[in-house]
Amino acid sequence: MRTVLLLAAAALSVQANSFYLTVAGLGGEPDYEQRFTAWAGDMKKALAGEAGAKVEVLTGKDATKANIQAKLAGFASQAKADDTLAVFFIGHGTFDDIDYKLNIPGQDISASELADALNKIPARQLVVIGTSASGGAIEKLQKDKRTVITATKAGTEKNATVFARFWVEAFRDPAADTDKNQTLTALEVYKYARLKTKDYFDTQKRLATEHSMLEDTGKGDGENDPSVANGQGLLAGRFPLLHLGSAATVAATPAKQALLKKKDDLETSIDELKYKKASMDTPAYTKQMQQLLLELAKVQASLDQ
Amino acid sequence: MMKSKFPYLIAALVLIALYVGDEQRWFRRVHAQSGPMPQAECDKLRDKPDVAAAKACYTKLTQSRDPWAIAEGYLGLGNMGSANTAFQAAIAANKKDPVRLTRWGQMYILIDQPKDARDCFEESLELDPDYAPAMMGMAKVLSIGYDGEATKWAEKALKADPKMYQAHELMAQMHLEDNNEAKALEDAKNALQIAPNDALQAMAILATIEQMNDRPGKEWLDKIFKIRSNYGEAYETMGHFFVINRRYDEGIAAYRKALELKPDLWTARAELGVNLMRFGKDEEARMQLEKTFNEGPAPSLLIVRNSLKLLDSYANFETTTTPRTILKLQKKEAALLRPYIQEEFETALTTYEKKYKFKLDGPVQIEVYPDHEDFAVRTMGMPGLGALGVTFGKVVAMDSPNGRKPGEFHWAATMWHELSHVYVLTMTQSRTPRWFTEGLAVYEETAVHPEWGDRMTPREIKAIKEKKLLPIADLDRGYIHPSYPEQVIVSYYQGGRVLTYIIDKWGFDAVLKMIDGYKNLKDTPTVLKDALGVTPEEFDAQFFPWLEKDTKTAVDGFDNWTKRLKDVAASAKEKQWDAVIKDGLEIRDIYPDYIEPANVYEFLSQAYLGKGDKPKAITQLEAWAEHGGRTPATLKQLADLQMEAGNKKAAVSALEKLNFIFLKDEVAHQKLGTLYMELGNPKGAVREFQGVLGSGTIDQAGAHYNLATAYRAVKQNDKALEEVFASLEAAPGYKPAQKLLLELSAQ
Repeated sequence: MRTVLLLAAAALSVQANSFYLTVAGLGGEPDYEQRFTAWAGDMKKALAGEAGAKVEVLTGKDATKANIQAKLAGFASQAKADDTLAVFFIGHGTFDDIDYKLNIPGQDISASELADALNKIPARQLVVIGTSASGGAIEKLQKDKRTVITATKAGTEKNATVFARFWVEAFRDPAADTDKNQTLTALEVYKYARLKTKDYFDTQKRLATEHSMLEDTGKGDGENDPSVANGQGLLAGRFPLLHLGSAATVAATPAKQALLKKKDDLETSIDELKYKKASMDTPAYTKQMQQLLLELAKVQASLDQ
Repeated sequence: MMKSKFPYLIAALVLIALYVGDEQRWFRRVHAQSGPMPQAECDKLRDKPDVAAAKACYTKLTQSRDPWAIAEGYLGLGNMGSANTAFQAAIAANKKDPVRLTRWGQMYILIDQPKDARDCFEESLELDPDYAPAMMGMAKVLSIGYDGEATKWAEKALKADPKMYQAHELMAQMHLEDNNEAKALEDAKNALQIAPNDALQAMAILATIEQMNDRPGKEWLDKIFKIRSNYGEAYETMGHFFVINRRYDEGIAAYRKALELKPDLWTARAELGVNLMRFGKDEEARMQLEKTFNEGPAPSLLIVRNSLKLLDSYANFETTTTPRTILKLQKKEAALLRPYIQEEFETALTTYEKKYKFKLDGPVQIEVYPDHEDFAVRTMGMPGLGALGVTFGKVVAMDSPNGRKPGEFHWAATMWHELSHVYVLTMTQSRTPRWFTEGLAVYEETAVHPEWGDRMTPREIKAIKEKKLLPIADLDRGYIHPSYPEQVIVSYYQGGRVLTYIIDKWGFDAVLKMIDGYKNLKDTPTVLKDALGVTPEEFDAQFFPWLEKDTKTAVDGFDNWTKRLKDVAASAKEKQWDAVIKDGLEIRDIYPDYIEPANVYEFLSQAYLGKGDKPKAITQLEAWAEHGGRTPATLKQLADLQMEAGNKKAAVSALEKLNFIFLKDEVAHQKLGTLYMELGNPKGAVREFQGVLGSGTIDQAGAHYNLATAYRAVKQNDKALEEVFASLEAAPGYKPAQKLLLELSAQ
């Protein structure tokens, strides 16, 4: 877990580039058309302030197969291995038992064709397909060092989805940054959208017609609720999507190196303790955790002085 | 739930037994050259009673070559699955026989399949429109659903066969369900005139009337048991009436007596189990229900299966107690609901204790069900109940605020309604008529807060206009045997208005006098005379003009209002805001109680917002909320507009209203908590931030931190510390929480 934090920190401090592509497919009817375009616009707005980010959006008649492939080819020529690429697909999708297709103007684009284009990009990748039947795309898209998120668990969940709406909402809601480190990761956004989608169906007293999935191990069907126990979410937890505040500019002056080292050690101990929680008795865990948290708070106070 | 099935014991074929004698006559009429019905001899043995011989007789029937005899054999043995198959074969063998079809229908009644039963009776009547037993079947199946049409079918059956005393028995039962003893008595006696030694149910009704009036009814019971020593059905009938009159203790005792006489009276055992469960005696309830499931007819009654399933689910509930409250909540929603429900629970008990001048002798239990069907099973043993809450003695079962779509249900009003029942029924030992109990509870909903309680809806306007409200002497009938689909709801409304009128004119002390009168077993005419000094007719002569005057504008203007509301809606769709405002303002006060979706207030507010006039939009939404508007999204919109206008107190009021309607809204709790902190009400903030956590927020760190700040503000530093640690455990680097931790640790 410490590795996770270090990698996350690396993602924050190293001058890596971030590439984003949002595609809003065909709505089929004006209401959906309007909604999909608005969500794509919201994504663009949310990412606008992200330092060093290259943000591309394709909506309406521009969201063609050729344009999508061209944008991805453009990224392939610019991106490096330590860069990040996040691709979001909004709209309706279909699955014919063999391949998933995103409904766009002209010829639809399949998951296999997307995979071909994405495989040429050396960057770490996040692919989010927030459409109906998107679960059918997992098999074609999954790959080592790529996180795949879909709105549905299978290609058979064919109703229009709400997952994308909440995915976009997460970028506006500070509550989505659950660890309060001012960096919104793919895992945090996924968990936010998953919970809100579930609440939506619960509140409306409707049978849930979509069950989102996250797959970031390169194999298997993915998990609706990624966790340490099922081994999913590790990569997504390291994938920064949006920086919310001053996290990227933390100053590490030489005078504070010792404190930073101490802080680092304490954070490691906290992570390790959390992983031992299940095997410890509660009072012992609580006592140790509280000691570590208090110590960390003191160190942070010294660093902030 | 581990169960085995031994479907070999004799079932309690009460309903079928009622008609056998007459069916025999009809059978001979239909089948002029035939002998007796196949099961006649076995039934005689069963009624003798000679259980072993009857069982042997029915078993022998199952070995017959005649599919009808086989069906009757299995029916007698309580093996409904095999009986059903055999009936199909019997009917295929003779498709023109109304008798077989009717018998099949009666079997369906026994296994809770009223629709199939009705189909059989209808088909039977198509074959022979004068077949009285099929008419009785129709009457019975309708009476089970408390359908007022049942009487018509019983009357038809009597016309077809004036000797069908069972029709009188059924009508006596229905009259007694309406609390009309005089008519029940008349029909029971008519039945006895026709069949002095066979009309056992009529005798049971007469004994029940006696017992309901706290007299032993020995004369009738002795007569019954002289004719049939094991006629447990007599006590089962009493149990039914005690239960529907909310005299559950006595109902349970009656069912026990029924089972002493006839241990295989499975319908009584099922009712005993269900009523024990209603009273929270879960262990014995399970024992009785499992016995019924394992040893009674198979498939077992739906009520039994449902109740056992519900008992299994109780492992998912948690209970908290105080000296006067027991609150049982499903674990998943307990953290969210407990603070709100507990607070309102205590307030209601304190208020009622003072108001009714009565102290309960033990704690009251409230059970809250997030799954409406579980609640329905809890109360009726069957899903599909339309009610929101039900009271059994000092136990209240109700829907959870999360059990319905947001805005459909005012949980606090429901709770106060039910708790009113607890007091009134305890004070009178459940001797009040339904119109009084329900009317008072409906009155109490709006007595707590004027905007609570249900409004006059178009269905009540229609009922007033068409003069469908009932005289006070007959009002109970509207609750028990409605004569049109919406009469139950209309009767609730009327009951509430009756009590409002009484309290407005004679004061609440008159209500206490009425309660005292009912407690002393006085009937409604006497109670009205003693407490109000009027006869029922005089009461109606005063009440109806008062109600008509009060509702005149809405009733007279309803058609015009409906037409013009459509115009307002059309203008709103076209964003013709001036037209919306002009027409909306003109019609709004014709029917100001209309606060359901597509109401004038919201159209007006939309129009004012469209024109950029937020203050006027706020005014309309405030008027909507004051009239009882419940749509969560609109209440939140109102709070947002009020906050934007800098009126934090008003926003608090709007969000507090929302809390009584829908609780699983973390954003609303967050806003209200923050407002409470800003307005110096940290205690309220503690509850709201707990609400954020209980709503299952994804932002655990933020929610625990906010709760910590609220605890700190109410000087509960130990709890503040717990919460800040919880916040930091979720987000160790969360700086505001770290700062608070250091401050708290330094203290």
